[in-house]
Amino acid sequence: MSELTLLVLQLGFLVLLWVFIFAIVYALRSDLFGQRVRKLQPDAGAAQAPAPAASFPAAAPAAVGASAGAAPHPAAPASGPGGETASTQNATKLVITSGQKAGTEFPLGRDEITIGRSADSAIIIRDDYTSTHHARLMLWNGRWMIQDLDSTNGTFLNGSRVTVPTPIPLGATVKVGATTFELRR
Amino acid sequence: MRTTTPPGGVSATPPSGVRRIRLPQKLRNTELWLLIVACMINAAAIVLVQLGAMGGIDTQLVLLGVGLSVLAFGMHIAMRFVARDADPFLLPIATVLNGLGIAMIYRIDIANAESGWESASVRQIVWSAIAIIAGIVTIVLLRNHRVLFRYTYLSGLIAIVLLLLPLVPGLGHREGGAQVWISIGIATFQPGEIAKIALAVFFAGYLVRNRDSLSMVGRKFLGMQFPRARDLGPLLVVWALSMAVIVFQRDLGTALLYFGLFLVMLYVATSRLSWVVLGLGLFIGGALVASQTLDYVGNRFANWLDPFNPERFDQEFGGSYQVVQGLFGLANGGLIGTGWGQGRPDITPVPQSDYIIASLGEELGLAGVFAILALYVLFVARGFRIGFAGQDDFGKLLGVGLAFVIALQVFIVVGGVTRVIPLTGLTTPFLAAGGSSLVAHWIIVALLLRLSDTVRNHPRLVIDG
Repeated sequence: MSELTLLVLQLGFLVLLWVFIFAIVYALRSDLFGQRVRKLQPDAGAAQAPAPAASFPAAAPAAVGASAGAAPHPAAPASGPGGETASTQNATKLVITSGQKAGTEFPLGRDEITIGRSADSAIIIRDDYTSTHHARLMLWNGRWMIQDLDSTNGTFLNGSRVTVPTPIPLGATVKVGATTFELRR
Repeated sequence: MRTTTPPGGVSATPPSGVRRIRLPQKLRNTELWLLIVACMINAAAIVLVQLGAMGGIDTQLVLLGVGLSVLAFGMHIAMRFVARDADPFLLPIATVLNGLGIAMIYRIDIANAESGWESASVRQIVWSAIAIIAGIVTIVLLRNHRVLFRYTYLSGLIAIVLLLLPLVPGLGHREGGAQVWISIGIATFQPGEIAKIALAVFFAGYLVRNRDSLSMVGRKFLGMQFPRARDLGPLLVVWALSMAVIVFQRDLGTALLYFGLFLVMLYVATSRLSWVVLGLGLFIGGALVASQTLDYVGNRFANWLDPFNPERFDQEFGGSYQVVQGLFGLANGGLIGTGWGQGRPDITPVPQSDYIIASLGEELGLAGVFAILALYVLFVARGFRIGFAGQDDFGKLLGVGLAFVIALQVFIVVGGVTRVIPLTGLTTPFLAAGGSSLVAHWIIVALLLRLSDTVRNHPRLVIDG
């Protein structure tokens, strides 16, 4: 076996090793650079919306935030700041109230619920306004709290931006990106 | 996501409600491809060793290597059934590291003209087989990591017993100065390696139960919130434990490993920097006292600071011969190495265990060592990621702890060999010759896989904008 052949084989081996590493890194790319943003189709939301609430997909984030308080929720007036706080005793489900999946229910267990664009979130919201790890719902002493995970466009509880972990009143509107939901019995 | 709901009709989507996202074979298929590449790398390494060192190919060891690949695929198939959503990168990375270690140990066996069942490489292959089977058994039997939470204090007890075993007269066995082995019949075993896992489980469970008192109260000093004196108990107990390991088992690296593991898990659980400051202060203080009073620790420090002194180099016991030979080996390797089987890694003492990274550095060069370190980085990053994405606090802490223990161990060994820190005897995870270390690390792989499966496997709702 000549020295040259061995050298070529050695180089080939090192290249193979690095190819393996880069194959892993390539497969991991969503971890490193965040999930890919999907562009909203301007008319798709309007065409499919069963509820009028889903018809503001192209609005700027600030405008969306401002309109959240006025969003059409005739069922929600009881949920003022003094409303009963959602806890493991009285809340059983999370209901999406606007957006594509309005009306969808998500059962509340005892696990925390992560919300974001990343594939390991419990509730995955793929739109332009949601961050990779956007917010989470967690249990503090049996009460459901919402925490914003430093998201770009913020998380809103009854129209005001959440800065510290805040207890969620039953029936209060929580807004993440262009999706709103509330906790119900 | 395309829905065909007619305007006004809500029949199609809403009642289906929660959708369970199953990416049934996607992750496992990624894993399969990576595993095939991993086994190719391993086979290529053994063949290149034979070509480089003997000029021909001996099929016996290649066949043994194939047997190991079959076991790795066995673990992959087991995961298709019991851990479908587990992380797809851990198994291939561990397989490659294990295979590179076997190739290097085999290369050193050839240099020492050892072969057959008594040689280190065949023993390593047999131990790897046992370790992978242990990993498969772990992942098949342990279906939910929260079961471990129930056995918090039991695993603490197991850890202490395992640590004390080598000190039992008749059972203990001293090698290279450190009393960390036990001998059962023909084989020797290092129970401290398994103790590492039990300790991680214990720390995670204990901290989840007690972290409020460790993180809420205390007074502010120098811009950091320090804990109350009476909450210092656990820190002092673990510190005393690691000092006992230094004094009685004469094993600096293991002590550093256990203490570092506890500090990091404490920091993650409480997010208080003051614990790290206090802990590092305690450990550095203890290590300085030990370096003054204990011969072997003092020697290690001297070899670190002044290895090229001819007096130290020629000293018969505890001299710097090994450190310097390792550095010469690394220098000889250069950028791309001498090539498998063409260097002289066998000149360094224990080139197949403590110094395997120097041996690999000599034959694969800087490019190879960086590739190995990159594999460790990816492995540890996946572990942290699993901890970060975890749904329960116990799982989070356990994931971070297990990943960190591997990171710290690599740092201590590679740092010691390259003279970043004083040399201490620890095994390089997956690479170094040593059965107990392999078994422990494959069980860690299985636990991380189990954690990552539970992380992904919960009800989800997908809302597409």
